[in-house]
Amino acid sequence: MKTHIFAFTLSIIICMTARAELKWDQTSIELHPTAADKQAIGHFKYQNSGSKPVRFKSVRTSCGCTAAQSQKEEVPPGEKGEITATFNIGERTGTQVKTVTVETDDPEHATTVLTLKAVIPQQLEITPTFVFWGQGEAPKPKTIVVRAAKDFPVKHLRVTSSSPDFQAKVEETGNGQFKIDVQPQDTKRPIASTLTIQTEDSPKIFYATARITNAPAIQ
Amino acid sequence: MVRQVLIVAALAFVPGLGQAIYFRDKVSWQSPVPASEMVTVAQARAWGGNAIWVDARPDNEFARDHVPGALSLNEDRWNELLPQFLAAWSQEKKVVVYCSSQSCNASREVARRLRNEAQLKNVFVLEGGWEEWLRTNR
Repeated sequence: MKTHIFAFTLSIIICMTARAELKWDQTSIELHPTAADKQAIGHFKYQNSGSKPVRFKSVRTSCGCTAAQSQKEEVPPGEKGEITATFNIGERTGTQVKTVTVETDDPEHATTVLTLKAVIPQQLEITPTFVFWGQGEAPKPKTIVVRAAKDFPVKHLRVTSSSPDFQAKVEETGNGQFKIDVQPQDTKRPIASTLTIQTEDSPKIFYATARITNAPAIQ
Repeated sequence: MVRQVLIVAALAFVPGLGQAIYFRDKVSWQSPVPASEMVTVAQARAWGGNAIWVDARPDNEFARDHVPGALSLNEDRWNELLPQFLAAWSQEKKVVVYCSSQSCNASREVARRLRNEAQLKNVFVLEGGWEEWLRTNR
């Protein structure tokens, strides 16, 4: 009986020690790219702290905008490595949360979800980015409000219209806030204009659209 | 017996309640998009020509295949694609945004920006996305 108990205990101990275990330094990373950055890259570092090799079965991302790469297919015991997650910022704004799902042959931790959070600075908040008039509607000015971020002081705002059929007047209203009054010459035909909005200190260009639509407007 | 069951149930309730309070902001069953802003393939198809289909997937996926007549509007080229979408938009139309599948988030993001930034109304997210559209149109 004692032999049986000893054998059972020993087998349990062997099973416990001879395991594969990928230990992650962190499974969640927060990045703060600058306004000029095109990508945000997170490095998820790991180490195989077990006594068996760990094999990656798949590494999937939650979005086409994020690519993830593992340095190796198999991680021998004791070895370190990392999964690199590259998030293409594109023209995204605000806080973006993307995940990378890692599947391994480790039965105890078969799936690990890595989270990449990118806080994209928003220098200007433009509301709305689209103003429109229905055909035949009175060509009264419509207002776009621009608010500068606290850490992005703006003294002067330059707005240009791609079409002479629309006029844009900028007025500073205080506390880093501006209003842009957009007015069409008339609303007889469906036309559009792209408004480019620029500050004095940043090369970044912001956009808004003004349009005369076919249908009568109720804004 | 009943008393024991009640005690066990009460004990199980305590950690559940604690977790619900602690994680109240990220309850897993809470959909990020209200049900009223979601639309099924059947509902959207019933809108016929009154709907504008918006493909929020990356350019290469849109180029491979998309809902017939859909316009590409993704956040990689937002500033360039938005005016093209607005040229096709009119007030009476409903906007149906989709991405790859139920789990993707691009359609929600594009819909959010159309509502909040462009201040458009009648913007909906397609349930199940492109995968669901393919499944129901096979």
